[in-house]
Amino acid sequence: MSLLRHAKQHLSNQLKYEHLNAFVSLADRASILTRAESADASPQGHNVGKHSPYGRLVAIKDNICTADLPTTAASGILKKFISPYDATVVERLRDAGAIIAGKTNMDEFGMGSHSAHSYFGRVKMEGLEGQEKSAGGSSGGSALAVATAQCWAALGTDTGGSVRLPAAYTGVVGFKPSYGLLSRWGVIAYANSLDTVGVLGSDIETVEGVFDTLNVYDPQDPTSLLPSTRSCLSSEKSLWGPLRVGIPLEYNIETLHPGVRKTWTRSLDLLQERGHTLHPVRLPATQHALSAYYVLAPAEASSNLAKYDGVRYGSRAEGSDGTPESVLFAKTRGQGFGPEVQRRILLGAFSLSAQAIDNYFIQAQKVRRLVQQDFDKVFKACNRLVSRSFAVEETGVDILLCPTAPTLAPLLTDIENQDPIHEYMNDVFTVPASLAGLPAINVPVSIADEDRDVKVREGGFKESAGMQIIGQYGDDKLVLAVGKELMQAASERHDHGT
Amino acid sequence: MLAHNTRTAFAIFSKRPYICQSCLRRVGKVPLASTRALAATSVRALQTDSEPLPNDGAPFRKLLKDAAKQKKKQDRATPSSSKPSSKGKDARLEKWELTVGIEIHAELNTARKLFSSAATSINETPNTHVSLFDIAFPGSQPHFQKETLIPALRAALALNCEIQHKSSFDRKHYFYQDQPAGYQITQYYEPFARNGSITLYPHDFPAGACPENVPITIGIKQIQMEQDTAKTVLQPPHTHLLDFNRVSHPLIEIITLPQIHDPTTAAVLVRKIQTILKTVNAVTAGMEMGGLRADVNVSVRERNGSSTEHGQSYHGVTGLGQRTEIKNLASVKAVEDAIVAERDRQIDILESGAIVEGETRGWTLGSKSTKRLRGKEGEIDYRYMPDPDIAPVVIGDDLVNHLRHTLPMLSDDCVNTLVDSENYGLTSKDASTLFLFDDGDRLDYYFDVVEHLRHTFPGHPDILARVGRVAGNWVLMELGGLLKGEEWSENRVSSVQLASIIAHLLRKQITSRTAKLLLSLKFDGDARSAEQIIADEDMLLRPLSRQEYLDLAQKLLDEKADMVKDIVEKQQHKKVKWFVGQMMARSAQGTVEPDSAEAVLRELLQLAPMEQK
Repeated sequence: MSLLRHAKQHLSNQLKYEHLNAFVSLADRASILTRAESADASPQGHNVGKHSPYGRLVAIKDNICTADLPTTAASGILKKFISPYDATVVERLRDAGAIIAGKTNMDEFGMGSHSAHSYFGRVKMEGLEGQEKSAGGSSGGSALAVATAQCWAALGTDTGGSVRLPAAYTGVVGFKPSYGLLSRWGVIAYANSLDTVGVLGSDIETVEGVFDTLNVYDPQDPTSLLPSTRSCLSSEKSLWGPLRVGIPLEYNIETLHPGVRKTWTRSLDLLQERGHTLHPVRLPATQHALSAYYVLAPAEASSNLAKYDGVRYGSRAEGSDGTPESVLFAKTRGQGFGPEVQRRILLGAFSLSAQAIDNYFIQAQKVRRLVQQDFDKVFKACNRLVSRSFAVEETGVDILLCPTAPTLAPLLTDIENQDPIHEYMNDVFTVPASLAGLPAINVPVSIADEDRDVKVREGGFKESAGMQIIGQYGDDKLVLAVGKELMQAASERHDHGT
Repeated sequence: MLAHNTRTAFAIFSKRPYICQSCLRRVGKVPLASTRALAATSVRALQTDSEPLPNDGAPFRKLLKDAAKQKKKQDRATPSSSKPSSKGKDARLEKWELTVGIEIHAELNTARKLFSSAATSINETPNTHVSLFDIAFPGSQPHFQKETLIPALRAALALNCEIQHKSSFDRKHYFYQDQPAGYQITQYYEPFARNGSITLYPHDFPAGACPENVPITIGIKQIQMEQDTAKTVLQPPHTHLLDFNRVSHPLIEIITLPQIHDPTTAAVLVRKIQTILKTVNAVTAGMEMGGLRADVNVSVRERNGSSTEHGQSYHGVTGLGQRTEIKNLASVKAVEDAIVAERDRQIDILESGAIVEGETRGWTLGSKSTKRLRGKEGEIDYRYMPDPDIAPVVIGDDLVNHLRHTLPMLSDDCVNTLVDSENYGLTSKDASTLFLFDDGDRLDYYFDVVEHLRHTFPGHPDILARVGRVAGNWVLMELGGLLKGEEWSENRVSSVQLASIIAHLLRKQITSRTAKLLLSLKFDGDARSAEQIIADEDMLLRPLSRQEYLDLAQKLLDEKADMVKDIVEKQQHKKVKWFVGQMMARSAQGTVEPDSAEAVLRELLQLAPMEQK
């Protein structure tokens, strides 16, 4: 199929699924078609590999700067903001010949787990009988755009699970690479020690193709991993030999949805059938990871969002602002930020305050270190950011396999009256890898028919649970390879009608 | 839609004159290395050079002197009656001890900003040197300019600090329109330099103001690097214009220990730090140009220590009174006056039985008292947080050692050398004056003159011993007298020419009157060399023979018999000098030496020989 036909299909889906609100802004249709057509005509267009973004539509989360489309971070304070420059990841995609499809809806500044906290209205996933389900967050628009084929692939950002969770809920592949591999220059900061650009696609090859395009050192991003460090990481682990797969027991929580738990067991079985070995492991600090995350991320957010004052750019409250004694933008910030953003700014301002910093921010940093050390203890490979040694712990595991989220996508009506803490609970399985900066991927694995709700099954809906594969720092390729193997195994099994 | 959006983007873009287009392009696209050539590093240096700094440099002494005069006048005007007299004040100061700690902010002399490759600038068109990060554009990130470390390290070394192997940057949060990011990047948890000190010597103090306990050593707790803010320009009645050129200019903050107990010492300390920073080429401008600002912490406690049970502790110094902070003092005089005013205010409070509140106060030039800005309840909680985007700075010993070895000679070393070395032998007053003049240019000139003279008299230890002092006198007094407020230029009379004039004088080939005449001829632009002028104008001292002296003297004495009578009979010996003058006036330029003339006159008048000077 030609690039143009693919583009046309995506564009028609964009019209068909407009009501899902996956996009905040769309690129010009005519120019997309022109570009796809000329891509087909160009010499490169004839041999476009399956993994290449050349001539293909890529959607960009709206907290990643683009010079031609507005970049709002789904916030009222940036509702009309147009960045004067492209983020490095966008620039690299353009250089590789990708066509930017549009900017996807999200939780304001990435703060949320259902893409419901958006100035532009919530993202809605279609459920049974017109029910509206959560697409997950905060990159819900990107995940849903991929799931409904409104684009070929999408960029998201993952701070505590914002790529993996919506990928799990919408049934697509969502990859969060190791922290520092993909440039953050031009990515609007939420919690910059955790923020990672991630990739969403319908299969591993697509995701890997985009990842490879973006995975280079960027001098503009001071946290971009240096070429010298990158070369230390590229351990060509034998992807074909049997792997030691770790089962983190702490993830088997009481509230785990039965369908998710059974899919997890089945996925483990599938890998074992392929010759890999299974090993239960303990990650004791995991139980504190979520609390630590919800101290650290808001603390950084309160700092990173201090710049939005309407003075130099962004929207400004009507009339005069402030009082003779106070600063000029109290009203602007009060009106521009949504309630969840305000809540996290207040939380963060508190946990950094002189009276609270020792008990909250500092403690949370210590927990973060423990979480990372937990991972280092169970992995066979040592963390090469911490130690230069290539020594391997033979009893360690190569990767970890666990669910991405404790439940399947909830109904929007169910989450409407939830308290914020409940929403934070969705991130319980994704946060640990974020705190440790590890590569992690969500792959959709179909739920066995016998474990499905009869009504849903008979409604013809496909249902999958998100499985998460976590690797040691820098083992991004291994994580992708295992994801591919798991998806293959699951689809073969499915095709054989088990 | 694409086209529309592109147009909008450009439209918005062009409506934003406040972003330097070239900075934008640079930040957006070009890798750091290739942009080096773009930064006009010399611009600032040129600007500061060409602009004479008013009230900067030498006039500090004058300020202090004027202040002292003013005070004397006031004291005379108000005799010990109504207001607390100076006597009364002294009594109070015997009871209460002042303690002061100072924080000095100085703008570093760098080509680029602290966290972007935008150029630093002083008087350029507003908002023309601003990168995306400088005005906190979404998605922009800091790029630490490691070159900014060099002047910072020089400053720290000159202030005897321990350079920290590892330091890091933190965010200090507060909202203000001149602070685009909502935080200032500074070094709170791990500053790059600690545990320094500075010693004040007699020569640092103005004449008569030197306290008894000198030398005084004041500890420096730490020095940190941080960003400057934007400039707010008020346009009455309601408009505040913002110039972001200054945003993120690199500053250092120098924090002293609270070990200062006298307002003059505080002023002298600030002055000296300013001089040191200039000497090692760490800063751009003088304090009055806004290149240097000081905050002072002032407290007062009873000397006998009876009330120390509630003593406060600052930076590890214990038993102090409650302190207040006076912010944003922009001159040395402001530092001194604000401390005096705040000290007196606190003593008034304590003597009335009340307690001093910990608060932040302000002071404006010329006012009599400090003004409350905000109290403790209004204190800002800065919520310091390590900046996750900025890697720790690791400074190698090799760099530190290199900078230590290439550090220009500091004022103390220099003044001590000028005073102690047999090559110079200046008074400490002349030495420090020479050091302070013209940003050190006059000192360099002096060194050149001395160097030329030393080469002129290799085998004359008696002359060499005087060379330094004589040259000092000519450079400071004679040349200084001719300058009369004109700007210094070493080209007016080259060091070679002045050395030549002095050499002739030292060889007694010309009289000092001739030497002064030569100097003023050269100063006024005579293009001939001193040597040539001497030859052309026949200025060489051609000593008269003893007989010629005797003849000339006798002739004069004969002419003025009445005066001879006065001298011999009325013992009016001073009138001998008149005859000396006449002898010089009546003979050719530079042929009569006054000492020889007087000796001959006394001989003829049968007076006792002159006293040896």
